[in-house]
Amino acid sequence: MVAITRSLSPALAGERLSAVLLAAALGVGLLFVSGFAPVVALHNAAHDWRHAHNFPCH
Amino acid sequence: MTKRLLAAALVAGFLAACVASALQFALTSPLILAAEKYETAAAPAPVHAFANPLIVLAHAGHDHGADEAQWQPAPGLPRLAFTALATLVSGVGYALLLGAVLVAAGRTVTPSEALTFGIGGFLSASLAPAIGLPPELPGMAAAALEARQLWWVATALATAAGLYLVAIRRGPAAVALGLALIVAPHVWGAPHGPEEISAMPPVFAAQFTARSLAIAFAFWAVLGLAFGWAWGAVEGRQGVARQTGVTA
Repeated sequence: MVAITRSLSPALAGERLSAVLLAAALGVGLLFVSGFAPVVALHNAAHDWRHAHNFPCH
Repeated sequence: MTKRLLAAALVAGFLAACVASALQFALTSPLILAAEKYETAAAPAPVHAFANPLIVLAHAGHDHGADEAQWQPAPGLPRLAFTALATLVSGVGYALLLGAVLVAAGRTVTPSEALTFGIGGFLSASLAPAIGLPPELPGMAAAALEARQLWWVATALATAAGLYLVAIRRGPAAVALGLALIVAPHVWGAPHGPEEISAMPPVFAAQFTARSLAIAFAFWAVLGLAFGWAWGAVEGRQGVARQTGVTA
């Protein structure tokens, strides 16, 4: 258990860094599409979600 | 690590979207539909009748009027389905960000730890922006979209960074800076639109705001718990696979 904790704590590098960067980029992309994209079709499709979750909408 | 993060985010996003979709259909979608009746009834249809046809006013009337010519999901089941799809896409998106923050902060991912970070997500992305820009129904007057989106993103980021400094860094300087970051967007002030009198009963807007925040809390709580659970479950499966690989 101690070994696991110690292996997680060093500076963000290698596999951990790439996992974090990939997940963050994917996450921001998905949220942009569903919550912010100005394309009318995307806005209309996600309209009720945007209102319900307080994304600024039209 | 990457596969584990993506898999846990998919599971957590899916479960949170299931819960949030059911709550949205029961609590907020009926209010949105009711508000749209007032919106279409109040839409200034004669705008085009007397306007110079050579002058096209940007945002004349309301965007919905312009949107109607564009594609939109058919009423009823297709509309609910697209709302659920948008909820799923956002659920996975938020779960990926939650996982990225947990891993970047070097936390041991457990359901309770992920729940704590999920509540941080609720405070940052739902509650703090709602202080300046309360969840609004269609047809309510508001400031320019880009200004509101910018304030929303800035507030969510500042609150998340502030919470990190206050709750995890914890030095006196970090706490002071964190509190300043949390308060700053509200001192700066959210962009506000004109105050219009609407025919819509105010109880609709009040109910919508309260229900929207309640659903957001349920969404983030499930997202956090499910991410922590899925993170452990994926590790268990990988461990089993590794063991069987060794013995085989």
